[in-house]
Amino acid sequence: MDLIVCIKRVPQTAEAEVRVDSSGKDIVKDRLTFDMNEADTYALEAAILLKEKFGGTITAISLGVADAEDTLRIALAKGADSAVRIKAEDFGELDGFKTAALLKEVIKDIKFDAIFTGCMATDDSYYQVGPVLAEMLGVPHATLVSKVEVSEEKVRVNRELEGGLIEHLEMSLPAVFAVQTGINEPRYASLIAIRRAAGKEIKILGKEDIPVETKTNSTLEELFVPPVGKRAEILTGSADEVAARTAGIIKEKGLI
Amino acid sequence: MANILAVVEHRQGAVRDITYELLTFGRKLAEKTDGKLTGVLLGHNVDNLTDNLKKHVHRLIVADHDVFKDFNGDVYQQALADIIKKENPFLTLIGNTAFGIDFCPSLATHLGVPFTTDCIDAEIADSGIRVTRQLYDGKMDTHMKLSESPSYMLTMRSGTCPAEEGNLSAEMQKIESPITTQPSYKKFIEYIEAAVGDVDITKADVLVGVGRGIKEQANLSMVEDFAKAIGGVVACSRPIVDANWLPKDRQVGSSGKTVKPKLYIAVGISGAFQHIAGMKNADTIIAINKDSNAPIFNEADYGIVDDLFKVLPALKSKIMELKK
Amino acid sequence: MNFDLTNDQKMLQEEVRKYAQTELAPLAPEIDKSGEFPWASIKKMAQLGLLGVIVPEQYGGSGFDFVSLAIAIEEISRACASTGVIVAVNNSLTTYPIVQFGSEEQKKKYLPSLCNGQKIGAFGLTEPNAGSDVAGMESTAKLDGGHYILNGTKRFITNGGEAGTFVVFAYTNRELKHKGISAFIVERDTPGFSLGNHEDLMGIRATANCELIFEDVKVPKENILGNEGDGFKICMNTLDVSRIDIGAQAVGIAQASLDEAVKYSKERKAFGQPVCNFQMIQSMIADMATQIQAARLLVHYAGYCKDKGMQRFSKESAMSKYYASDIAVDVARKAVQIHGGYGYSKDYTVERLYRDAKILELYEGTSEVQKIVIARELTR
Repeated sequence: MDLIVCIKRVPQTAEAEVRVDSSGKDIVKDRLTFDMNEADTYALEAAILLKEKFGGTITAISLGVADAEDTLRIALAKGADSAVRIKAEDFGELDGFKTAALLKEVIKDIKFDAIFTGCMATDDSYYQVGPVLAEMLGVPHATLVSKVEVSEEKVRVNRELEGGLIEHLEMSLPAVFAVQTGINEPRYASLIAIRRAAGKEIKILGKEDIPVETKTNSTLEELFVPPVGKRAEILTGSADEVAARTAGIIKEKGLI
Repeated sequence: MANILAVVEHRQGAVRDITYELLTFGRKLAEKTDGKLTGVLLGHNVDNLTDNLKKHVHRLIVADHDVFKDFNGDVYQQALADIIKKENPFLTLIGNTAFGIDFCPSLATHLGVPFTTDCIDAEIADSGIRVTRQLYDGKMDTHMKLSESPSYMLTMRSGTCPAEEGNLSAEMQKIESPITTQPSYKKFIEYIEAAVGDVDITKADVLVGVGRGIKEQANLSMVEDFAKAIGGVVACSRPIVDANWLPKDRQVGSSGKTVKPKLYIAVGISGAFQHIAGMKNADTIIAINKDSNAPIFNEADYGIVDDLFKVLPALKSKIMELKK
Repeated sequence: MNFDLTNDQKMLQEEVRKYAQTELAPLAPEIDKSGEFPWASIKKMAQLGLLGVIVPEQYGGSGFDFVSLAIAIEEISRACASTGVIVAVNNSLTTYPIVQFGSEEQKKKYLPSLCNGQKIGAFGLTEPNAGSDVAGMESTAKLDGGHYILNGTKRFITNGGEAGTFVVFAYTNRELKHKGISAFIVERDTPGFSLGNHEDLMGIRATANCELIFEDVKVPKENILGNEGDGFKICMNTLDVSRIDIGAQAVGIAQASLDEAVKYSKERKAFGQPVCNFQMIQSMIADMATQIQAARLLVHYAGYCKDKGMQRFSKESAMSKYYASDIAVDVARKAVQIHGGYGYSKDYTVERLYRDAKILELYEGTSEVQKIVIARELTR
């Protein structure tokens, strides 16, 4: 099977302090660490598992600035065969729609059986790239995918719905799967694989290679720290004092 | 005048909460400009669902066909494309759910309509649409303007606009289903219910929810001890399930269970919106987190900004004392 | 002049860091408490190629250079000092001397199982009465037909209790003093080999540190590394390499201490503000960060000297080990200090880091020995 995985390098903000930069439209990034978007690591692993079973190739594609090549190299080390970076710096403001449009321009010339993406990126939270890309390529898709099981002529796809309910579908290939987190155990790259991947060439495509006009659906006007909603009453004091007050509150509610 | 279309989300015979949130939001938005809100219900044998829906919309379009018996994103996409072309609304609203996310982006792309997803607010501004979205794990908000167009499409995050009682009595318009068969390339087979574990967290009065903050699996036993002391059950946020530390049936949140206990103690949970969606209706919420900026403190009734490894044992012993 | 890591070193650093922080760091307090040898982690690290970092691919290794090994050891030690030294011993004290001094047959026979996690290696040099004074060792190996008969006791052997393959030093000719020492590859299941006391250590508590007892152990003649009398040379060259990794381990422990201290100083409030606002704390943090940077550069430079093929890099290696262990103890101490009373409690990571750091000044040549090496190189 020939597979494509779309990967994004994103700042790791779950546990970090995030601040708006002087432009008011971006965050201060110099103190953040960057890594492969979490859902994309599961998408990549899902593709690698299929390649291990059926043979074939994996092409990893990332729309990003030069650092995205580090992330692509990790994808190469884990099991991708070739990698492409689309120069984000050439294309101005991006959103999920425009990202998908640029990916499509590259993918339309590649033969594929399936495309894997993460279901969303933690930085812009769009949930768009997979399904839009599918629509643009004229192939079916499924989002929030928790399982892709390929047998002869038939692909069993599970989607994860609210409340843990699973939607079981049957799909045909080629198709796009936007993958949910937690669906497999993403591997680490071995040292040997890292050494081999380090020397591999990454194809870099810029504006001159993708000479089409792509537009965003939306323009970011400003970024700001979310206004505080109903704020909890913060209990202060030593751990013991706080514990005593909390226990008192729980007792008042009749729960002890 | 902005006419708005909202897609009704229902599953296994019941209209989902997000629908009434969408309808409340859509109606307010429409009425601000003297526009009308139209609901679209695609389903099979859904007459029993329409009474309540009619109270929330000015008009209800119903396509009844067995192709809509279960959910298939592609079926929805094809049917809605047809309906939207005919209705030509200024704005189409869809829930940012497993349902909406499966067809909105591709549908809007297909129709060439500017769209965006996972909005927490939207307004009609300068004859266009401006939305509020959250970025970077909910730590930033953004205002975005959609490209100018006669028509837009948005998915709205659940829980951002509380549903209100409806007082309308919409006319109902039954239409022929624009689609009658599932496409050969994507067929719905079945719903598979989540495996039932030893504990049903939706039935517990007291839940102790744990998140990333507990750092490692070994610390779960401390939380279990605490939960036992307070007569509660341990639940968790998604990262704990992704790491295989607890089974899926303990997960609270949009992709897990929705719970409504008398007391929810969030331990080391930062409060991603997906988690909040599952527990915000608890009677009392107490949050323990080291990070005073953690969004969980915007939901909790009481907050403790401190190390959970210090607070939890202390709280456990106080509770044991009170029990005596 | 170029301070940049190469592409593969950068990737190795990122991936090992991710692995170590996700998988090893959570286990560190547990195995510190239980003293349990982390076999599951070792098997996983074998899959990643971390047990034979510098071993050529044809023997099952990863084929990286010594700077890369130092980077890997730093990242592992930053997450778990015990695991860091277990891996360091397998790499630079066991596989390295076999790669460097072993025969083709020995490499083929012993390296693959040391790389794939089937066996872990250990280095039998120190004796109850001979630490810094290597030539004071009492173990002997007498040739008897096709075998050497090995007798003696080795003490404080990292990995000793769990290792399957040992590089052991003993006199084949005591008259020749240090030139009469030879090195052997000894397998665990050889009759006459047994384990003595398990050491109850202050830090690095999960390293199966154990006494080895050899009683008429028949080591096949072909298991000698190099020739009779090469032992001292092998030992010194091996220590030159392994000290770089102890330096790297020190940098890892120091970095972890700084990470913890910075985090805590921002969270902990006193007199109405985070303690990181106080100049005394800032002074400590600035010192720690500078010390770590200097130590890391010394370690990388020593690795670079080895990679470049320098014949003598004893001074560079000793400097990196001496300085890095010195500052690691100091940085860990400051990290405890910044934590105040909490730093003395087992609830906080710095308590373990402080205990783990102290060994750095003692093993693979005490700091005093490093200074002798450095001074001798300058005055010879």
